[in-house]
Amino acid sequence: MTITVDGISKSFNDFQALKGVELAAARGEFIALLGPSGSGKTTLLRILAGLEFADSGRLLFDGRDVAAQGAGERNVGFVFQHYALFKHMTVAENVSFGLRVKPRAQRPAKAEIDRQVNELLRLVQLDRLGGRYPSQLSGGQRQRVALARALAIQPAVLLLDEPFGALDAKVRKELRRWLRRLHDDMQLTSIFVTHDQEEALELADRIAVMREGRIEQIGTPAEIYHRPATAFVYEFLGNANRLRCRIDRGRAVVAGLELPAPEYPDLHDAAGTAFVRPHDLVIADARQSGLEARVRQVFLAGPAIRVELALLTTGDMLEAEVPHGSDLGSLIVPDKLVTLQPTKIRAFPDAA
Amino acid sequence: MVAQTRRELSALPAAAAPSAAARVRLATTESAPVRWVLIALGLGFILLVIVLPLVSVFLEALRGGIGAFLRAVTEDDTLSAIRLTLLVAAIAVPLNLIFGLAAAWAIAKFDFRGKSLLITLIDLPFSVSPVISGLIYVLLYGAYGWFGPFLKEWDIKFIFNVTGLVLATVFVTFPFIARELIPLMQEQGRDEEEAAISLGANGWRTFLYVTLPNVAWGLLYGVLLCNARAMGEFGAVSVVSGHIRGLTNTMPLHVEILYNEYDFVGAFAVASLLALLAIVTLVAKSLLEWRYGDRLAAGRRH
Repeated sequence: MTITVDGISKSFNDFQALKGVELAAARGEFIALLGPSGSGKTTLLRILAGLEFADSGRLLFDGRDVAAQGAGERNVGFVFQHYALFKHMTVAENVSFGLRVKPRAQRPAKAEIDRQVNELLRLVQLDRLGGRYPSQLSGGQRQRVALARALAIQPAVLLLDEPFGALDAKVRKELRRWLRRLHDDMQLTSIFVTHDQEEALELADRIAVMREGRIEQIGTPAEIYHRPATAFVYEFLGNANRLRCRIDRGRAVVAGLELPAPEYPDLHDAAGTAFVRPHDLVIADARQSGLEARVRQVFLAGPAIRVELALLTTGDMLEAEVPHGSDLGSLIVPDKLVTLQPTKIRAFPDAA
Repeated sequence: MVAQTRRELSALPAAAAPSAAARVRLATTESAPVRWVLIALGLGFILLVIVLPLVSVFLEALRGGIGAFLRAVTEDDTLSAIRLTLLVAAIAVPLNLIFGLAAAWAIAKFDFRGKSLLITLIDLPFSVSPVISGLIYVLLYGAYGWFGPFLKEWDIKFIFNVTGLVLATVFVTFPFIARELIPLMQEQGRDEEEAAISLGANGWRTFLYVTLPNVAWGLLYGVLLCNARAMGEFGAVSVVSGHIRGLTNTMPLHVEILYNEYDFVGAFAVASLLALLAIVTLVAKSLLEWRYGDRLAAGRRH
């Protein structure tokens, strides 16, 4: 099913949660709504589900306006952040709920319901736990019950609110891959909300980065990561060092160092901020040209060595990453004077 | 849940090796003398204030022997008082079940203007003296009350008959069920209802299959409390009843009449029936909790 969000706005009392959001999801797409808390991503998801209603704007499913329809009429599967399983029902009763509450004319026979429930439980790998209560399951199992329950009504659209938020890191990774396969196999159109950029980058076909009720940028994970449209997107998608700079005719000047900024060939001596990812900062000895800095701390644990440095000119703290086993051992010791050479920066002029 | 945890805690020191017994002690435990003094104070208080009076009711009732007791409770006026009490409770409790459930549902699951005012109003019968609650009804619906002439014209009587007793009892026992359900429903939030609706359930089915089962135990507890209070209510009922023997006399009022007439055996015999009703109520609740405790716990856990 295609989903079109056309200029949707929503306010709660004085707080404007959504400010004219535009979004289009193609059939079979997996879209992530990524943003900090309060950016409006959950509100948008709930409006799509019919649990919240927009103040203005249009919402189309396959070209049909569904803005006036209630949640039950939209045939949308919704997975809640804390699962919202029915505590007093067994797993099987939870999964069959959507079938059991159908109007009598559309309700499948009891045997057919049982068959579908068993099939769904097999699908989510819980076939022997149908008789348990939700309180007797682990977090990952509950998550899968919630999914099976949402899928029971054979929705064309699956909406997930922070689907992995309450799980520990290992289970989260496994479920992520499993969910992606499920989405592809069942040919769903899915939209999920997350504040975890890694999750969005790994799982989604496209990511919509949200900020203060607007979509700041929408694109494939590679586009969003490598060509962030705004400083906010750049900072939200991973660690970033900020450096004050002047942008001048396709160049960014940082503390006397000239770096290419080809996005702005026409700007003349404008103030801005240059961003550098830690792994794009090369540490060299003090005789080389670059930004002069002093090593403050070195963190050896983790996938790469993290080095904290202070710029000599401004005192700003920067972070660099050095692969384990590099030959910089003599340079990355506290209090050592070094130079930093950014291999790749992205500059943004200050908002006027 | 709490009881279970407590049992586990108290089992801890016993399970430890004897040599380490002195050191295996909960960090929050007091020294032995302090514990004994506190326990003695607690038990003594319960004994003096709750157990002894209850026992004495039964002792006094049986002072004249089983025969006198039976004669007292099968007397015509007593029997009619019992019937009236049961009738009033049988009308007032279901009414408050509906009102309380509706009020709690509205307050816990929806946002609207004047919500806190409604909560305050629900609590009003708790804070107003029952005698005043009774008086209000006399002032409004009595023969010389605001609506008196109007009601007289249509030959409707509220006061000094069953209607008045039911009204006064409903008023006094109104908060019991609502108060029991509101915090429970608020804690449960709206997630499960939203899930049910997104799965295609309509409002009625959502209420029936999701909201109601989730509060079933709280509701039962509220009903039992409401029922106990409805049968035991004295003040409000006393004002609107008119104390017509055999007609508008409920059990608590009958106890007072018998006592004032120095019929102590009779008074305590009826009182012991009331006490017995209360004990049966509590035993029923405990039995249900014990029998279905697992499901209760499952419903409360997240």
